[in-house]
Amino acid sequence: MRIVLIGFILAIFTACGSGKKTDEQAFLEDLDSTKVEGPTISEEAIGEILQQIPSPLEISMLLKESGKKYNSTFLNPADNISKYNSNYKKALNLGVYGTDLGYTNIYEQNQDGVKYMAAIKELADGLNIGQFFDIETIGRLATNSKNLDSLLLITTQNFNSINHYLQTQQRANLSVLFLTGGWLEALHITCEVATANPTNKQLQETIGEQKIILENIKLLLSFYKDTDQNMASLLADVEELKTIYDKVKITYTYKESTFEVVDGVMMIKDNSTSTIEITPEDITSIKEVTSKIRSKIIS
Amino acid sequence: MKKFIFIVLSVFVLSTLEVIGQCNSEALSNQCIPKLITGFNFLKSYKIEKGAKEFVEYSYVFTKGTQYMINICAAAQPTDGIVVSLYDSNRNKVATSKLNGQFISAIAYPCNTTGIYYIQYTFDGSTAYCGGSALGFKR
Repeated sequence: MRIVLIGFILAIFTACGSGKKTDEQAFLEDLDSTKVEGPTISEEAIGEILQQIPSPLEISMLLKESGKKYNSTFLNPADNISKYNSNYKKALNLGVYGTDLGYTNIYEQNQDGVKYMAAIKELADGLNIGQFFDIETIGRLATNSKNLDSLLLITTQNFNSINHYLQTQQRANLSVLFLTGGWLEALHITCEVATANPTNKQLQETIGEQKIILENIKLLLSFYKDTDQNMASLLADVEELKTIYDKVKITYTYKESTFEVVDGVMMIKDNSTSTIEITPEDITSIKEVTSKIRSKIIS
Repeated sequence: MKKFIFIVLSVFVLSTLEVIGQCNSEALSNQCIPKLITGFNFLKSYKIEKGAKEFVEYSYVFTKGTQYMINICAAAQPTDGIVVSLYDSNRNKVATSKLNGQFISAIAYPCNTTGIYYIQYTFDGSTAYCGGSALGFKR
C-alpha cells in the first residue's frame, strides 16, 4: 500500500513539474547552450522573432494591386529543384518556392503554380515535413480561379504549420532558412518590378521598409554563426546588404489614433506618419546585392 | 492513513478534471479564421490562454498601406472579457477593442507606418481566460 501511495505522490509531483520553464531556467539554459551544438539562445526566443516576419504574400498582393503584370522570369524555375541536395539548400529554396507559389496564386497563373506545388512538396518531403503540405487540396483549388481565397488560406495554413512544427521539433534553424529564402525572393521580385517602374514611389518605399525585416533576419542568422558554417556564410552576405540599408532612413511620428465602431468592427484611424528616405542609387545597390545572394541560394 | 490516501486521491482527481476542462485555444483560433471579413486574407492564428503573465502577447511586422484585421473568438459571446490592444514598436497604444465598457470582437487597423507591432490580449472580467484570434490583411 505504501509503495502505491509513494507512486501516486511521485506521479503528481512529476506531472506538476512538466509545465512551462521558469524564466530563470530558460536563462540558465541559454547560457548553457553556447557549450553545445545549436543556437546561442533558446528556440522559444527564436520563435518570438520568427513570428514577426511578414508573409511574402503581402508583397505579391501589393504588386498585383498596383497593376504590375505577372512575369515568370522573376521567379526561380521549378526545375532547379534537382540542385538542392542539402537540408540547408532545401530549406532556403522551400522559402523561395513558397514565395513564387504565392506570386503565381495571386496572379492566378495555375499552370506555373502546379509546378511550384510539386517542387515544394518534394522539398518538404526531403525535410520530413511533407505531411503538412496538402498538395491534393491545393491542386484541386488551383484549377478554379473562384477558389483563390481558399487557395491562399490553405497554403498560408500549411506554411504556418510547417514553421510551427519545425520550432516544436528543435529545428528552428530550418524555419530561419525557410523564412529567409521566402523574404529574399520577395525582395528580389520587388526590386525587379521597381527597376522596370523607376517612378513608382510606393515600390521604392516597400524596398526601403525591408530594412526592418532585414534586422530580424540578420539577428536570427547570428544565433547560428558559431555552430553552422552555411548560416555564418549567409549572415556575411546579409550583412553586406545591411551596409547598403544603413543609408536608408525611416522617420516615424506618433500621433494618437482615433476610432469608431462600424458594423461591430472597431475601425481605427492611424494618425501616425512615417517617411522613408531611399535614393535610386540605394535601390540599384540593394537589387545588385540581393541578386548576388539569391544566385548563391538558387544555384 | 485513510485520511491521507483520501487527500492524495482527491488531488489526483481534481488535477485530472482540470486537464479535461482545459482551454482549447487552438479550436477557438481556427473558428476565428472564417470570421475575418470578406476581402481580408488570412495571415496568422493566435492562441489566447492565460499563463503566468496577466496578458498574452504576439508580434508581427505590419506594412504601411496595408489594412489589418484582428478578431477574437471565445466560448462566451462576444469575447468573454478578452480585449486585444495593438502597440507600435515604441510601445505606444494604437488600437484597442474595448470602448466605453463594450467588448468589440474585431478591430481593423489601416497601417501608416511599417514596423513591429505588438498584439496584446488581456482579460477583463473573463470567466474562462481562453480564446483564439486571427490576423488578416488586405491592400
